[in-house]
Amino acid sequence: MAGVNLEPAKESASRSLLGRRARAQYAALAGLRWHMLKNGLRTAGGVFELGARAFALLFIFGVMGLGLSILMGVTAYQLILRGQWIFLPLLFWAVFLLWQVVPILLASFQEQFDMSSLLRFPLSFRLFYLLYIVFGLTDISTILGGMCCIGLWVGTSLARSDLMLWSALSLGCFATFNILMARAVFAWIDRWLAQRKTREIMGAVFMLGFLGLQLLNPAFYQKKIVVPVNAEQRIARQQQLVEEYGPWVNRANAVQKWFPPGLAAVAPRRFAEQHTVTAVGSVGMLGVYALAAGGLLMVRLRAEYRGENLGSAPHRTDAPPKRKETVLAEDTWVLGGSGVIGAVMAKELHCLLRTLPQLYALGAPLLLVLILSGAGPSLSHPFILAFPVSLIYAQLGFTKIIYNNFGAEGAGLQMMFLSPTPIRTVLLGKNIFHATVYAIVLLIASVFAALRVGVPTGVVLAATVAWLLFALPSNLVAGNLFSLLVPYRVNPGRMTRQQGSRANALVSLLAQGAILAVGATVFGLCALFDRLWLAIPIFLGLALCAVSCLVWVLSLADGIANRRREALLTTLVKRD
Amino acid sequence: MDTAAIQTQGLTRRFGDLTAVENVTLSVAPGQFFGFLGPNGAGKSTTIKMLTGLLEPTEGAIQILGKPFGSNALELKQQIGVVPEGMALFGRLTASEYLHFVGRMYGLDRATTLQRTEELLDFMQLANEHKKLVTDFSHGMQKKLALAAAVIHGPKVLFLDEPFEGVDAVAAGMLKSMLSGMLTRGVTIFLTTHVLEIVERLCSHVAIISKGRLVANGPIEELNKGVVSMLPDAAREQRLTLEEIFLAIVGATGGREQPTQELSWLA
Repeated sequence: MAGVNLEPAKESASRSLLGRRARAQYAALAGLRWHMLKNGLRTAGGVFELGARAFALLFIFGVMGLGLSILMGVTAYQLILRGQWIFLPLLFWAVFLLWQVVPILLASFQEQFDMSSLLRFPLSFRLFYLLYIVFGLTDISTILGGMCCIGLWVGTSLARSDLMLWSALSLGCFATFNILMARAVFAWIDRWLAQRKTREIMGAVFMLGFLGLQLLNPAFYQKKIVVPVNAEQRIARQQQLVEEYGPWVNRANAVQKWFPPGLAAVAPRRFAEQHTVTAVGSVGMLGVYALAAGGLLMVRLRAEYRGENLGSAPHRTDAPPKRKETVLAEDTWVLGGSGVIGAVMAKELHCLLRTLPQLYALGAPLLLVLILSGAGPSLSHPFILAFPVSLIYAQLGFTKIIYNNFGAEGAGLQMMFLSPTPIRTVLLGKNIFHATVYAIVLLIASVFAALRVGVPTGVVLAATVAWLLFALPSNLVAGNLFSLLVPYRVNPGRMTRQQGSRANALVSLLAQGAILAVGATVFGLCALFDRLWLAIPIFLGLALCAVSCLVWVLSLADGIANRRREALLTTLVKRD
Repeated sequence: MDTAAIQTQGLTRRFGDLTAVENVTLSVAPGQFFGFLGPNGAGKSTTIKMLTGLLEPTEGAIQILGKPFGSNALELKQQIGVVPEGMALFGRLTASEYLHFVGRMYGLDRATTLQRTEELLDFMQLANEHKKLVTDFSHGMQKKLALAAAVIHGPKVLFLDEPFEGVDAVAAGMLKSMLSGMLTRGVTIFLTTHVLEIVERLCSHVAIISKGRLVANGPIEELNKGVVSMLPDAAREQRLTLEEIFLAIVGATGGREQPTQELSWLA
C-alpha cells in the first residue's frame, strides 16, 4: 500500500503501560487537557472560571487543607506524647470519612473528565484503569485527605521520631486505599444511578441510612457538659473525657482495628510497643484492603471498558406489547391548573424526586442539624442562638439548586426559549417551587432543632422567621442572576463526571457568605446588647428590600436571557 | 396573494469573523412543504435557529405569518412548532410528563393537553413506554417525542431540523404520513434534512444554502430545468434526481476545496 504507513502496532506494545503507544497516548491526553484549558480562555467567562479555580484551590482548599493538616498533626502529636493511643484511630476515621464523603458533597461543583469518552480509542484496559486513578488524584478530597495524612505523619514523627518510617508506610497504604476506594465508590454510584431500578434501591438505602444516622445524636449527647473556661478546667475536662469515653473507645477499638482507619492507626502503635509482627500484619492487612478496593474498581471499569449497556431498554419479547387501558395522562398531572407556572413547578417536582444528588444536597444539612445541634441542651448554659443557627445551616442545601437554576435542564432549555413563555415566568415558577421546598425543609429543620436544642422563645422564633424572610428572596435574587450569568451543565443522573463551574461555586459562596454575614451580624449585635427583638424589624426591613430586588431582577430576566441566549444554550445544551 | 408564512430579508448571522449565514432572502408560502438543503456547516441550523428565535440575526428581518419576529416573539412562538437540533427534551421526565409540560407552556387547558398527549403517544407508538424516562429512550424514540411536542399545540408553521435522523423506516413512514396530513390542513412545514429522497418525495419547494449563501431557491422542477439547461444539448431532456441537482449546484465537494491528495493508504 502506497502513502502513509500505518502498520498496526505490536500487541505487546499496545498493552505495556510504558510502551510506545501508551506514551503517545499519555502525551495525547496531556495535550488534550492543555488545549481544553487554553481554548477555555478564549472567552471572558473562561478566564473568570480559571481565576475562580485558582482562587478556590489556593485559598479555600489550600487554607482548609493546611488547617486540617495542622489540626491532625497537633492532635496526633498530643495523643502520642500523652500515650493516649486509643484515641488515635478517631483521627484516621475522620480522614477516612472526609476522603469518602467530601467528593459526594462537591460532586457537582468539580469538573471531572469523563473517562468513558476515551473508550473509542485503542486504549488498553491497564492504561484506562491507571488513567482513571490518575485523574482522581486532582480531586479535592484527595488533596484534603493527602494533606491530612501528611499532618498525621509529621505529628507522629515529631512525637516519636522512631515511628517515622512505620507511620509513613501505614499512612501510604492508608492513602492508597482511600484513593482507590473513593474512585471505586464513585464508579459504582454512577453505575447504580444509571438504571431506574438500582436508582430507586439507592434512594431507599439513602433514606434508611438518613433515618438511621439520626439515632446517633441522642446516643452521643446524654449529659450536661461543662464548657471549660481555663486551663485547669480544660485538663479536668480531658481527664473526664478519657475516663468517661475510654472504656467505650476501647470496646470500639476491638472492632474497628480490623478496618482500614483502625489498621493505619494501630500499626505505628504496635511498632512503638515492639510488636513488630503485629505491626507488619496491620500494614499488610491495609494493603489487602487497598487491593480489594482496587479490585472493586477494576470490576466496574472492566465492565465499562467492555462496553456495557446501561440503558433501560426492555428485553426483547415475543409477546405482543400490552395495550395501555387507562388514561395514562391523568396520573402524572400534578400541581393543578393549566398555567405556565404550574407547568414549571410540576416539571421541577418530577425532576427533583428523580434526582438523588439534589435530594441528598437538601437532606444532608438536615442530618447534620440533628447530629450537631445535640450539643445544645447538654451545655451548662443554653446557647440562645442555637435554633436560628441550626436553621441557617439547614438552608445551605439550597445553594447548589437555587444558584444554578437551568443547570440540569440540558436540551430542554431550548423548549423554554421556543415556547411562548417569557423566561421571567419560568424563573418565577422555579422560584415559587424552590420557596415551597425551602419552607418544607426548614419546617422539618425547625422540628429537629426544637427537639435537639429546645423550643425557642417567641422572640428568637420571630427573629429567625424574619431572617428567613430576608434570606430566601436574597438567595433567589443571587440565584436568578448567577443562573443566567455563570451557569454550568449538570448531569442530574450522575454524581461524578460533572462539568462543574468554580466560577459559579465561588460567586455562590460569596453571596451565601454575605447573606449569612448579615444574619450573623444582626443576630450577634442584638443578642450582645440583649435586644434580640430589634432583629425582627431589621430583618423585615431587609426582607422588603430583598423582595423588591427580586421583582427587579425578574423584570430584567428576559433582557438578560435574550442577550445571553446563545451563551446559555451553548453552555447548557451539551450532549452528555 | 396570501401573506408568506415565512419571509426573510437579507438575513445575516456572524460569529466574530465567521459569517455563518449571509444575506439570505427567501419566502415560503402558507401550506408549503419547504425543503432547506445544504452541505454540513452550510448554515441550515443557524438559519432555523434565527427563524425560531433561538438566535438573534446580526442583520436582516424575519417575518412569520406576516408579522416581524422581534416585536411579536411570544405571539409568533404560539403559532410555530419546532424540532430543534438538540430536540429540547428533559431527560428526567417521562414522555407523558414532558408533553403535559409542553402543552401547559403553550397555554393549552388541562383536558386538551391530556387528550392530545394520549393521542400523540398512541400515534407515535410511545404509549407503552409511559414509565420510562426520556433519557432512557432510543434516539429514534426521542425524535418521535420531540415531534409530538412540536405539534401538540397545533402550530401553523412547523420547523423541523433533521427530523428523520436516526429514525427507523417504519417510524419515518409514520412521521411522513403525519406531516402530509398536516400539510393538507394548511400547515407550513420548513424542513432541513440530508435525506434527499424524503425532500424529493414530500417537498414542493427547495432552497439550497452553501457557505452561508442561498445558491438556489424554487420548485424542484425549476431547479431541474436550471441545472439541465447548463448541460450539453443531448442531455437536456433528462430528468435529474434531487441528489444530482444538489451536487450540480453545490458541487461534489459541497462548496469546499477539492482535497489535493487521495487517501491512498486506506485499505
